[in-house]
Order: sequence, then C-alpha cells, then structure tokens
Amino acid sequence: MQENIISKNKLESFDELFESYQSATVLTREEKAKKIVGQLDAWCGNLEGILQIYKRIPALNQVGIFKGTPWENPSRLVPQLVNGTFKSGHPNSTFELLSELRMLAIARGEIQASDNSKEEAETYLQEVLVLNLEFVFNEPQEETRLLMSEDELNKVHSLFGFISEQIQLSKVKASLVDELVLICEQRPVVTEKQRRIIALVKEKIALDPNDPADEDLLAFQRSIYRPSIGTEGKTYKEYEEYLNGLCEAQLIVEAEQMSEGMLSNGLVSSYQASLLLFLVKNKHFEVVAKCLGLNESGLAWFSEYQEFVCTLIVDVIHPNNAQCIYGLAKSLENGVLSRSAVRAGLHNLLTISLHPKVKERIIKSLGNAKGEVSPKQFLIGALLRILGQPLGVGQGNNPTCQSARGISMWSQHAPAKLIHMVHAAAVHNDLSFRFEGREIKYSESALGLVQKLDHQLDAVSVTLVPMLDKIYNEMMRRASGRGEDPHKWVNPGLYGQWIQIGFASAYDYLSNAIVDFDGFVKVFYAMCHPQYNGGHRLVYPNPVGIFITSAKGEMLGFHAISLLRVEKDPQGTIRAYFLNPNNEGRQNWGQGICPSVYGNGENHGESSLPIHEFAGRIYAFHYNNLDATAKMDEVPQNEVNKVKELAKNSWGKSYTWLEIKKQW
Amino acid sequence: MAKCFALMGWSLPVIESMQKLNKSFVVVSFPDFENYAQENNIPFVPYQFDEWSDSSNSLDLKDKLEPYDVDVAVPLFEETVEWAGALNSLYRDDPKVLNRAFLFRNKAMMKRKALIGGLRVGLFEEVYNKEGVVNFMNRLNQANLQVDGEEDSWVHIKPFASAGTVGHRLLKSKADIEEKCQDDDFPCLAESHLPGKEFSCEAFVHGGKIRFLNITEYVKLGYSNFIPEGNYLHTKREKIMKEMQKLVDLFGIQYGMIHPEWFLTENDELSFGEVACRIPGGHILELCGQAYGFDALAAFVCCHDPELTEEELNELLPPLDARPKTFYGNVMIYPHKNEISRLVIPEELKEEPFFLDHNLVPPLTSQKVNSREGFGNHFGTVNFKGDDPDRMSELLLHYENVDFYH
Repeated sequence: MQENIISKNKLESFDELFESYQSATVLTREEKAKKIVGQLDAWCGNLEGILQIYKRIPALNQVGIFKGTPWENPSRLVPQLVNGTFKSGHPNSTFELLSELRMLAIARGEIQASDNSKEEAETYLQEVLVLNLEFVFNEPQEETRLLMSEDELNKVHSLFGFISEQIQLSKVKASLVDELVLICEQRPVVTEKQRRIIALVKEKIALDPNDPADEDLLAFQRSIYRPSIGTEGKTYKEYEEYLNGLCEAQLIVEAEQMSEGMLSNGLVSSYQASLLLFLVKNKHFEVVAKCLGLNESGLAWFSEYQEFVCTLIVDVIHPNNAQCIYGLAKSLENGVLSRSAVRAGLHNLLTISLHPKVKERIIKSLGNAKGEVSPKQFLIGALLRILGQPLGVGQGNNPTCQSARGISMWSQHAPAKLIHMVHAAAVHNDLSFRFEGREIKYSESALGLVQKLDHQLDAVSVTLVPMLDKIYNEMMRRASGRGEDPHKWVNPGLYGQWIQIGFASAYDYLSNAIVDFDGFVKVFYAMCHPQYNGGHRLVYPNPVGIFITSAKGEMLGFHAISLLRVEKDPQGTIRAYFLNPNNEGRQNWGQGICPSVYGNGENHGESSLPIHEFAGRIYAFHYNNLDATAKMDEVPQNEVNKVKELAKNSWGKSYTWLEIKKQW
Repeated sequence: MAKCFALMGWSLPVIESMQKLNKSFVVVSFPDFENYAQENNIPFVPYQFDEWSDSSNSLDLKDKLEPYDVDVAVPLFEETVEWAGALNSLYRDDPKVLNRAFLFRNKAMMKRKALIGGLRVGLFEEVYNKEGVVNFMNRLNQANLQVDGEEDSWVHIKPFASAGTVGHRLLKSKADIEEKCQDDDFPCLAESHLPGKEFSCEAFVHGGKIRFLNITEYVKLGYSNFIPEGNYLHTKREKIMKEMQKLVDLFGIQYGMIHPEWFLTENDELSFGEVACRIPGGHILELCGQAYGFDALAAFVCCHDPELTEEELNELLPPLDARPKTFYGNVMIYPHKNEISRLVIPEELKEEPFFLDHNLVPPLTSQKVNSREGFGNHFGTVNFKGDDPDRMSELLLHYENVDFYH
C-alpha cells in the first residue's frame, strides 16, 4: 500500500459505518459511534488521513457524533484539558482529535457558526497549540512518554502538524514568551526546541517593532536571525565578506552585541561563528574574548591558554556548528579547560578518526543541519557544550535518564574521564567498564533499556548513550537478586567511587513494602538538610531515585535525577536543587508540587523544590553511613510527617506500608 | 400478524430493529433497565427472571403482559428460553412448546434427543464430580484402545444450561481434570472431543420449514468467525441443509430460529454439537445482517410469529440461495496478560485493507484481568470485511494472537 494515502477500502468502510450510524436510533448510537471512531483512529497516522477526517467533520458533527459526550458543546471546552485527554488514549484521544478538527472547521467557516464563535474557536486552537508544543514538535515530556504509545504520539503529532499549518499564533504571544524563557533559562545543550519555536513565531506572527508587547519575541528572533546591526539583511556568507571592511572598533561593537544576545538566552547564531573565526584568523584576540562574552575568570583562562583555545575554535567551530561557542565560553569560565588532562583529552580528540557506526549516529542526530561540518567537529562541539553546561545535558525522548545523569556528573567532576570515554567510544564504537572487579563491555552485553534510540540528542549523547545504557543494564543484571535495590552497587560502579557507600531505600525488597519511611526521611534530612547535617554542603551530586507522579499525584514510574545542593532560596525557604535530565521545566507532579527552573535561586539547568516536597517523591539516595545515624535523631517528627503525608497520598497508594523500625 | 411481541431480555439493537420495523413490542427484563426504558419511551415490564415463586412465574408474567396484548414471546438470551417457552405454550395452548424449551436448556437432554433421531453425536454422559470425569475419560481411553504412555482422550465439560462457551472447559489429561475442574462445575455434561471443522448454522424457521439458512464459519471457537461460510464449506451446503431440516423436524421446531453447532470431519461426516434457540453470541447476527444485507435481528424476532405472512417472510429474509460476495468476520479480543494498563492498536491493523472497525476501549488505569477458563468475557471485537474468505481466516487467526492490551 502506498504511504500517506488512505485506501479506498478505508473510505468505503467509513461510508458503511457512517451510514449505519446515521440510520441508528439513540439506542445504539453510542456503540456505533465507537466503531466509527475506531475506524477513524486508523487514519490518524499521517497528514493525509487527518485531512480526510477534516473533510468529513462537518457531516460527523451534523449527525451528532459528539452528542452525549463531554465534547458536545464546543463553547464549553477548555484548552487546558486537551493535553491530558490525549494522554488517556483511544477512544478519548480520537474524540479529542475530532473535537480539535471541528474547532478548526468552525474557525474556518466549514461549519456554520456566528462570527463570535469563529473568533472563539480560533483563540481556542491557538491556546491548545501553545499548551501542546510537545506534540507540535514531537518532543514528549516524561509523563507523556510514560503514558502514550508510539502510535498515539504519532497520531497527535499528525493532528498538530495539520492544525499548526492552518492557524496563526497572534493571540498567544505571551504564552510563547513564557515557554521560550522557561526553556532558555535551563540552558539546555540541545537548542533545537527553542529554535523551532522561534522559527514558528517567525512564520506565524507578524511582529511589530514598535509594539512593546512584541519586544521579547523580537529579542529571541534577533538572537538567531540578526544578532548584531551588521548582520541586518545578510546571509552569514555575505556577513563574512562584510567583516573584511570593518575596523577594530566596529568589530568590537559586533562582538559585544552578539555575546550579549548569547549570554541573555544561551542561543548562538551562525553569524557569531563567522565573526569568531574571522577574529581568530586575523588575530584580533582581545575581540575574541569579547565575542565569547567572557567574565573575568574566563578572560584569565583565555589569556592563559589562548593558543589552545584558538586552535579549538578554528578546528571545531563553523557557522553550522555555532552553538558550541556558548559551551566554549562557559567551559573557560568554569575552569574546566584549565585542567591539563582535559586539554590533553581534547587535543587527542582532534586527531582521531571516528568509527563509521558512530559517524552514522551523529549524522542521524543532526536532522537537516549538516554540510561543511564533519561528524568529528560536531562531536567535539557537543563535548564543549557539555563541559561548559554540565546541567544542560538531557536524555531527549529516551528512557535513558541514568546515562544522561552520568554524562552530567562526569562533566562536572570527572571531565577527563568523560573525554576519555568519548574518545574510546568514538574510535572503537565500544566501551568498557570495570564493575566489582570484572569487565563489562558494551559490545558483549545484552539488551539495554532503549531499543530504538531517539536521535534528537547532542553528538556526545548519541555516541555514548547506547553504550552506557547497555552497560548500566548489565550492571543491574549482575547486581540483582541480592535482596536490595541493585542501584546500591550500580551507582558507584557506573558513576564513580566518590558515590557514598550508604544507600537508603524506602522500598524493602524482602517484604515488598515501604518500610520505616520515618527513618528514611530522617536519614535523608541528616544527609543533606543544612539544619540537621551540621550545616554541611553536598560535595558531589547524589544520584537519587524518584517516583514520577502524574498531575493527579498518581504513581507513573521511576526516574533518575541527581541532587546537587540544598540551600535557602532568596525567600528563605530551604530548597533542594537538582538536575532533572529530562530537561523539562513545566512539570506538575501533583499535590501542588511543581518543580521550578528559574526564579527561586536556580542556576541554569537546575530544577528546585522546597525540601519537603522533594523528599515526598524520593525513594532512594546515597549517604555517609558512618555519619548519618548519629544525626538522624535530631530531625523533628513534624518535618517527617509533612513528607510522609505527601508520600502516602500520592505514590504511596501503590504500596503497602510497614511502620516497623529498621537499622539504618 | 402478531398483536404484540414480548422481547424476553434487554437488547438495544433488537429494540432498535423493532422500532424501525414499526412492530408493536414490549421488553421484559430486570428492573434495572426500567429507568432507561422510561426515558426512551420503550414499553417495558420489569421482571425478576432469576426468581421462581408463587408471585414470580409464567402465569403471573402473562397477566402482566396482558395490557400489551402480547401473543408471541421471543427469547433473546439463554436465561429467558424457558420463560419464553412457558409463555408461548400458554399463547399457543400447546404444552410441548415448553418441553421443547427445556430441551434447549439441557445439553444432555438435547444430545439424547439428537442421538435418538439418528444424528451423529460424540460420547456423552452426565457427571456429578471429578471422579465421574476421570471415569468418563478412562472409558473413553479404553474405547480408543489407549496404550501405556499414550495421551489421554480429550474430554469437554459444559454446564447443562449455559450459553455457548460459558463454563466450557477442555480437559486434555487427568492432570487437567485435577487442575481445572472445580466443585461448583458439577453436575455437568462430559463429552468426547469431536474432531473436524466447527461451524454454526442459524436457521430461520417458519411453519416447521427452514426459510433461510446462514452458515457461520468458526475460525476458532470463542474467538473468531465469519459469514458467509468459506468456499469449501459452501460446497457442503446442500448436505448441511439436509441435516438441519432433520434437526428441525426432530426437535419439532415450528417458529423461530435455531443456532446449532456442527463439526464437519475430513471424510465429510457431520457431527452434532449442541443447539440453542436464542440470539447467538459472537455478534453472529450482526455479521449475518451485514453480509446478506438484511435486518437479522428483526427477522429473528418475526420468525417467532406464527401469523407472519409469506409476503412478510420474503421481505424480511434473503432468498435461500443467496451467496454474498463480501465476507464479514470478527475476532474477539482477550488480554494476554494478567495485568494490563493500556490499549495498543497495532499499526498493521490500521493498515489492513480488510479492517472495518473495532470497539476496544482502554483498561481502567491498571487493571487485573479475571482469570478465564470459559469464554464470553471478551474486551471488545475487531471487525473485518473483504472479498476473500481465505485471507479472512488468516487474518482472524493472526489477530487472535495479537496482544492489544499491554
């Protein structure tokens, strides 16, 4: 069968079902509607199918397919409910899809309606679109990924592809700004999503420079499309020509404008690469530092290792590989490039040739952004981004939070080890770990968690993650059957021996229950809460296991994050600051628990929650077993109770609770 | 023409068919349905079918139906067969009508009747406990000349009076008997396994004659069937028709529809399985109506009316020799796991040209599936439609093993 064509059979089947529905009385309509919707569900996998459904929407609406359903009255529908309905699967998701298409038909006058209703329908769809950008761009969030099948995702993605082509976005500017700020504030390593939103805005909204309401969106657009005055109306190639005619003072203006834009939202334009390369080649080293927007320590390291940095720039950076300029700047500032092992590792990387399989994966991860840049350049570029923004590492649309968490941790605390791993993996398409005195090799391990890697990742992740994932799984296999959570041994084995020996788990394997949750919380507070741990700070990130819960607080699954620090926020609340490798700021874990990503003292890439809310979702962490037991008695019971209440009324409902005490 | 039909049992599609036909009817069913009936203007008499006492019996029900002028009762479900039989006995003033209803409600009795009439049946026996089943299997093994180490002969047990496949267990060994039989299965019917291709017939009978014969080809009992019968079975139609008329005569069926199951062996012999006289399961009448292009439910009801005219009959039923070109089939979907959390419609189904529709719904959050020995509690149905019966068989077999619930 040809792809993207709805077969004649299907169209005929629909006619037959429609006929039978039309002639049905109220008694059997519900049952027959189910069948129509079951047939239409089979059409939803592509744009052509959606179009065919759209053509039939007026007739379906006319015969009352929505009658007696929650979608009956279009004016009563609420955009905020759409996302959750899609996640609930067929038949609800199919009805929801039909309902969106009906809205579109109303907005475009295919279904008779008053001007007012048309206007309302248009606004409704715009709001729905902004609230569902994850579907528009096919980048599902954690909860979505856990709940929706691939088919369902594909179906909803097709719908939003169809709708976004048909409507404007002029009424939801403020929401789009919020969305962009939310993403950019986290400074993710992969910047495709914000770029796509900015491109969507460019395509969909005519912005007015004189309207203050449009200022924010224009600023985002400028950072990609026109980062300085000199770039106005030029392609980056024309801009390269243009630079030849500029004096140093003019170059400084260009450099400052560009770095300012880059620092404000973490996005780098192609022009900035052109400029940087021009400056290096023409030895304007002082302007290079301005172009990188370096702070004082960055400036100091740049002067120290100027030659090395300039080699990196020339060898790696290209207008089509520009985003790593931000990573380079940040890795100068955070001092990672000052380590000789790191410089040596990077130097070595410049000389390797990549394994064909690795090349393949990198090229696949690029989508369209290829040309003139080698996979190796992308790989080193991505490495610079990760070294500069360790908290910007994300798992993409993959269940590989463990691997992403590892890459982030190594980037901060074992950067040379990370580079070495990248090196080995890139050359041999293989990776080897030592675990409990024995070797685990990627190429000899069985399956990992991820069967089909989603390639919307950075080049380092596409190189390493498939291997780390398998190795992690093999470690889990070897450590299972010991009557305790295998992570107790796997975490230090995978991440590094600096992970604390003590391991606390709320869940007890032998009794298959939550045992002594009070003690668990006390050990947690004694480990990290500055009021009870002697005012200490965390030294290394702590790999923590959390329960993922839905917006209703229902247990959905497990997730790996790392706890980075516990400190007072600007309002004086003690908060847990953590890395969530799923790179998603707008999460709702139920019970009013919504991790924030900025505005509460977070560094770029951190998520945070008040400590008791955070504690209400954890099930496992590491601690110093020589230390914690003495301190845990000081944790007051009322603090413990706060956490326990949150836990019991959410994920805790899925478990048996035993109140007996255990030895920590 | 009947003044008014009493529809014994609650079925929305049947009610809808009667409304469309513009025939007068009253629904008799459990009081639970009364509100819905009232809201939708459906003539309704609430009755507690599962109670039989001084105040709940056929004479009392007849009184309650008098205001509606009922003169024909139609059993829609297995559990209402005796009630309808009792009423019709009164309406027709013929006690045998009731006895015949009992015949349909006792699988041992109906087999005996078939045996007497010269139909081929398997070995059968009423059993009262596990030991009885073991003894039955032993005798069967003996008869089959079992040698040490050879497998036991297969035995089926069935409740005397349940619809179709409900409570039906296949026992392949003595260990099976120990494991699968429960105390509350007994007493029941034990019978030898009948080899051959299984199919059912739906014979619309009026005045003791078969006026229309549908043959439903079973792809797998309890899972899938399609209509009209495939090409091979079709070549046996005449033979089947003969045996069917024999059955009708033997059982003395005058009006209504009977739904027996048969087995066709490789050497062309037909064995009688069992017979029912209510609406068959497996959505058979729905498929039959789609394939032959008539309202099978309306026809089912009307055939119970002794006063139906020849003209009306011809209007309601397809001609006896009709052979549709398009085949309609369905497969009933059961979860394959004990705990399920979501419905996944496979991509291959969506792309299948024969796919017509489905009515599957997702489970409620995380749902535990009741363990199942008999059939009947499927989660939904997937329908197919196409012009090739072999492809249809293939598809139905395939989708029986596809896991829709993860």
